[in-house]
Amino acid sequence: MRLVRDLGRRKLRSTLTITGIAIGIMALVVFGSMANKMNALIGGGSKYYQGKIVVSVGSMYTGGVQPMALSDVEKIQKVAGVAVATPSVSMMLSTTGGASMGVPDMITGSIPNGDKGLETFKIDIAQGRELNDGDANSKVTVLGSDLARELNASVGGTVTLRDQKFTVVGIWAPTLTAPDKSAYVPLAAAQDLLVGSLPPLMQSKVTASEIVTEVTVYPVAGVSPETLKTRLEALLGKDYTIMTGKDFDAMLGSFSAIFTMVLTGIALLSLLVGGLSTINTMAMSVAERTREIGIKRAIGASRWRIRREIVVESAAIGLIAGLIGLAIGAAMTFLFNDLGRPSGNVLFDLTLGTAVTAIVFSTVLGAIAGFVPAWHASGMDPVSALRYE
Amino acid sequence: MTILEGRNLRKTYRLSKRSTVAALKGVDIDIENGEMVAIMGPSGSGKSTLMHILGMLHAPDPNHGPAPELRLGGEDVAALSDTARTRIRARRMGFVFQDFNLVPTLTAIENVALACDYAGVKGKAARAAALEALGLVGLADRAGHKPSELSGGEQQRVAIARALVNKPEIILADEPTGNLDSERSAEVLALLRQFNREHGQTVVLVTHDAEVGAACDRIVRMRDGRIRDDGRRPAEPVMAPQLTPVPA
Repeated sequence: MRLVRDLGRRKLRSTLTITGIAIGIMALVVFGSMANKMNALIGGGSKYYQGKIVVSVGSMYTGGVQPMALSDVEKIQKVAGVAVATPSVSMMLSTTGGASMGVPDMITGSIPNGDKGLETFKIDIAQGRELNDGDANSKVTVLGSDLARELNASVGGTVTLRDQKFTVVGIWAPTLTAPDKSAYVPLAAAQDLLVGSLPPLMQSKVTASEIVTEVTVYPVAGVSPETLKTRLEALLGKDYTIMTGKDFDAMLGSFSAIFTMVLTGIALLSLLVGGLSTINTMAMSVAERTREIGIKRAIGASRWRIRREIVVESAAIGLIAGLIGLAIGAAMTFLFNDLGRPSGNVLFDLTLGTAVTAIVFSTVLGAIAGFVPAWHASGMDPVSALRYE
Repeated sequence: MTILEGRNLRKTYRLSKRSTVAALKGVDIDIENGEMVAIMGPSGSGKSTLMHILGMLHAPDPNHGPAPELRLGGEDVAALSDTARTRIRARRMGFVFQDFNLVPTLTAIENVALACDYAGVKGKAARAAALEALGLVGLADRAGHKPSELSGGEQQRVAIARALVNKPEIILADEPTGNLDSERSAEVLALLRQFNREHGQTVVLVTHDAEVGAACDRIVRMRDGRIRDDGRRPAEPVMAPQLTPVPA
């Protein structure tokens, strides 16, 4: 209580300092949440790629994916060590290819149960049902949770994907990763959509049912994806992109690390400013209380006692600032997520870990900022301190 | 019994790199247990410096002339560390200052309890002791007031309660009545006198005020950093000011 009163006595300066640190902590919370979300996406991708190989021509991560022929699937299927090779067709939902933050909305077409039960990346159905064998030639879709919200779709209703109408038969539970923004359709429907988007001259040269964009390969138990990748490379040549879980991690893991570093750097910079501001406030407040410190020393307060008092006070400034910064940062992430949800731009994921880190960090920062003035104050001669005006 | 015994007490302050001032030029002093002693003298005579040394706020200079001796209750305290001197100030001494020196953000009872806290008595015990001490100075009903809500005389009584609360061996008062009108001065003096008479509390006070001096058992008179008359021995003849070089 005494502490709060002491802070209250210097309202303006305490307020400014607390504001300074709070802004830093807010930045840490917001950017940290952004990094969390990004890492969750990458983590989801990494999990998706484990234990399988995805073959494409070009890559969706490095530029345009070009179509490949359905006959490639049969070639791949014959390679030793391949348990199942199943084709799929992926494309962006938007035909204009407009950029958006995070993961774009996607349409993916595949053969229902084409994985023969080998897929380990399972997504729960929240409403309706999965696609099944009977859907092969129907215009039906299962939507990811974010996309369903974005399109305002419900099971039994229809949605327009590119220029065609689809009946929604199911909606997935949220995964917080890429599938949340995807529409899953039968392979034939996706092939149809893909061909429909080609320039008219090219349309006449291809047969919709003959093109795919990706082949997902599941190795036989005991064969490592890396071994299989070597064999596939030998078979297909260098025009094909063959990606294993390890390749994915190597590619996006480093991206994720840089991204996290940049965001953390920005937040730390703002905290450095906040920390210096705390040192300044504490130094001023100590100078102002020189006489009071002299009194306390004279009547028997030890140097440690004086130091502790000052350090605890400045840690309290840090804690209060941290709580305020966290509150504002959390409010911002929730607000932006709510605003972005209709358009599918959910960019922030505020985790408990981020929140706790922010609070602990600002408290420790406050305490450290108190050390310099505390040492100075405790070293003063009590008699001179008493005479100080 | 002699509670405080000082020999060869010297103190030289350094004003800048080249100039120093010898505030205390070799003082011998004895304070008896249960005594109420006034230290008097003109400004700059070294009385406050002597008080700060007796109160363990400063240590005597160890190397200007004969080795200083300072004994508190027979124990040698001349060369203690800052920590040890702080501990003695907290537990065995009480201080009263000219301008009261209460902590402005704390109430009367909190100010008194702070001294208990530093002496190792905490929480409820400290509050109870503080309230009792405030009762002794007649301010139990003002316990919840801040210094700014109290008159000068009341603030000084709170300070006396703070000095008394740990039942110290000795109370040191530096011009305790210097900022008070004559009526409040008399009250404060009477209070100190009462604790001295009724509880045998040893009191050393520095004063300019002859009336305050006259109310004490003994007057130590100082001039130019030396004791001219300790109130016990016959007065020494006044010496001409000496110019002695001060070793750096």
